[in-house]
Amino acid sequence: MKISGKLIMYVIIVMVIAPIFSLIFYSNPNSINVIFEKKNIFFESSFNTIYLLSITVISSLVLGLIPSWFVSLYKFRFRNIIDFLMYLPLAIPTYIMAFSYGEILSYTGPFQSFLRNNLDFLAPFFNIDFLTLEVLGIILGLSLFPYVYAASRISFTLVGKSFLNLSKTLGNNWVDTFLKVVIPLSAPAIISAIFLVSMEVLNEYGAVKYFGVNTFTTEIFKTWYALSDETTAAGLSIFLLTIVFVLFSVEYVYNSKLKFNYKLNTDLNYIDHKQKTSLLPYIFSFFPIFFGFVIPLSFIIYNVIDNFKIIDFNDLSSFTFNSVFLSFTSSFFIIIFLLLVLFIDNEYKSKISKTLSAVTSLGYALPGAVLGLSLIIFSRFIGDNLISYSLTGTYFLLFYALFIRFMAVGRSPLKSSIDKIPITLFDTAKNLGLGSFDLLKKIYIPLNKFALFSAFMLCFIDIMKELPITLILRPFNFDTLSTKTYELAVEEMVDISSFYSLVIIIICSLTLYFVKKINTN
Amino acid sequence: MKHYIISIFTIIFLSGCNEDKSNEVNLYSQRHYKVDEIQYKKFTELTGIKVNWIKSNADELIERLKNEGKKSPADIFISVDAGKLQKAASLNLLQRLPSEIKTENIQNQLLDINNFWAPITYRSRILVYSNERVNKSDLNTYESLADEKWKNRILVRSSSNAYNQALMASIIANNGIEKARNWSEGIVANLARNPKGNDRDQVKAIYSGLGDVAIVNSYYIGLLLSSEKEEERKAGESVSVFFPNQEENQRGTHVNISGVAITKNSPNKENAVMLINYLLSEDAQKTYVNNSYEYSVNKNVKPSKIVQDWGEFKIDNLDLNSLGVYREDAVNVFDETGWK
Repeated sequence: MKISGKLIMYVIIVMVIAPIFSLIFYSNPNSINVIFEKKNIFFESSFNTIYLLSITVISSLVLGLIPSWFVSLYKFRFRNIIDFLMYLPLAIPTYIMAFSYGEILSYTGPFQSFLRNNLDFLAPFFNIDFLTLEVLGIILGLSLFPYVYAASRISFTLVGKSFLNLSKTLGNNWVDTFLKVVIPLSAPAIISAIFLVSMEVLNEYGAVKYFGVNTFTTEIFKTWYALSDETTAAGLSIFLLTIVFVLFSVEYVYNSKLKFNYKLNTDLNYIDHKQKTSLLPYIFSFFPIFFGFVIPLSFIIYNVIDNFKIIDFNDLSSFTFNSVFLSFTSSFFIIIFLLLVLFIDNEYKSKISKTLSAVTSLGYALPGAVLGLSLIIFSRFIGDNLISYSLTGTYFLLFYALFIRFMAVGRSPLKSSIDKIPITLFDTAKNLGLGSFDLLKKIYIPLNKFALFSAFMLCFIDIMKELPITLILRPFNFDTLSTKTYELAVEEMVDISSFYSLVIIIICSLTLYFVKKINTN
Repeated sequence: MKHYIISIFTIIFLSGCNEDKSNEVNLYSQRHYKVDEIQYKKFTELTGIKVNWIKSNADELIERLKNEGKKSPADIFISVDAGKLQKAASLNLLQRLPSEIKTENIQNQLLDINNFWAPITYRSRILVYSNERVNKSDLNTYESLADEKWKNRILVRSSSNAYNQALMASIIANNGIEKARNWSEGIVANLARNPKGNDRDQVKAIYSGLGDVAIVNSYYIGLLLSSEKEEERKAGESVSVFFPNQEENQRGTHVNISGVAITKNSPNKENAVMLINYLLSEDAQKTYVNNSYEYSVNKNVKPSKIVQDWGEFKIDNLDLNSLGVYREDAVNVFDETGWK
């Protein structure tokens, strides 16, 4: 590799790591003592975090994997529509999902009101406290299972029919085939998805606070804000980062050991599903779609109708423009950048390119709000030494932060897709005399089209919903749909915020539809 | 595509450059209500001065101010908590208000004795009780909620909430930390359920029969009573408002202010002074009470009809800076006594 190429990679690594590591300089070595002093509280919050993670991961696996399998390999009526609908819960921000379910299930909400007015004898059984950790875990699962679905969907499609036929020949029924063949073959994609789901849970702040669950993340903020102990909070963030990094390394090592040679034949002859099991695809996809999308959406639409007269359409159009501008631009650059990084890593396989490829996931290991704060600290350093104005409040810093945070979201589907292309294909292409640029243009981009769009789509939607970073780093007079939704929701005006969340949902759903259409053509 | 990329880069880099900024004023604000936008719009119409704002959590804004240092573009810091204004002042991020700020009509006990900030509205943290299951005469003070007779009947949100932290800080400031700890233990022992949800959820929990008395901000009762949803209005109507600590020898009900302050390095200080004076004017104060369920700091401006119906009350005379000074102690008391 040329020296200049290496230099650029070093610069990029530093750019990604520096803001995060500015926390280390800010942190206090005594943080460990604070943890010991308050070990009960940290024990409880760590336990809650792990418990919540487990429930969310399990529910998102249950909700995502099974429908993904049916849709990827079987032919049944409405298959395409179901495939599309399975992505839609992604269009709803997690905190909106949590606030909505909080209201839906509350005593004055539609569910209990309906029971009281119509089925009075049932009402007392449901007059219980729904704001519990377990319910929150399931709600987060409903919100996050599309990550599992998206990752496994690509993987299941690539597994190919020959493996399935082989399994059938060996006498396995569909359950065995699923558990013994499909799942192990798709392990890398599923593990990546679990990683993403876990990071989203650690990032969650609004919903856990509302449900009264103390997690490690809420402890960080309590220390930072209420106790004004920034250095200890920074120390705790580093502690969290370390744990995540260890998990991430385990994932990385595990996944790099598993390298399968898939048959590139993605043109499946779908299995007809007309026998006795024919209702199964509908049953398994009904629950995630109904509870993950239809119910919260109906609640939001109901609120919009209720509050229609107070909507300010001028505000709405400017917030919408800001949201789309921010999401589209940052996702676009993230994907181009990721493609280059993964391309270089795949082609050169040098230590530094591997490091670079790995650090692209680092930003996801910190809760968004902590990352935002670390960038503020970092920009003080830059501001003190290099430039004459404050970096905070510039679009540059906002894009920079989103870039660091959301590279991991795009990386996951893109990487598992690139990994599945047989290495021989690249060799053949090179033997035919293709240069680096041609290789990128003629092999990488067309072969990973599906993943590139999925990656862009996931980034776009995530940034559309993104909250803490935009909230803390935004320039003057810059409101997005999600910051506005949140402002109203924390002031207990969820019903009025519904209009902005509805626009988020519509835009994200249209994006999904658009992408799906491109992919099927 | 090329054009798109180039124009994006241009926007990104130009956004950091200096424009003519003489005719504007920059706010870092924790307040983000519709009424605030109305106020700023009116101010711009009146003076021609453009109001720019960044709205976020108070602590994040403080962190931003701290790190921006002398280069900060902010002129004004606005918080819905006197404690956060005290925190900003103690971090040397604010300057004392100049004598031009007109505070003569403001109720004295709401003013900052160090003159770093001026209050623009206030709210009370009150008790609401079930009309069916509680006699008004059973209620008295915040302190008396720790009595055994309230076992399994008290509702309150989690201790991570700033309003609860402020209330606990006021109790520590008034009664000392030992008594505050005992009080907190008493409340935890009397809770009808683990602390969770928001203020309105506590009222709904009374309506559902889960508990009998809740500690909430007056503001949210207003929201419930004016809700578009019948069930929510019913929840609001199922409870009555009680102002605690009102008897002659008692200190009064805990309140907290929304306040404005001028930042240490304010680049547009004159405009900042004009805006603050505008927000304190009788006109602007009327706009606040007509568009929200807050109380005006101006002695001559009455609150909205719903709020007036709850009656007048005596305000706790505590120096509101204590809400910041005792914040850490408050969080520690919550942690020690298991108030989640």
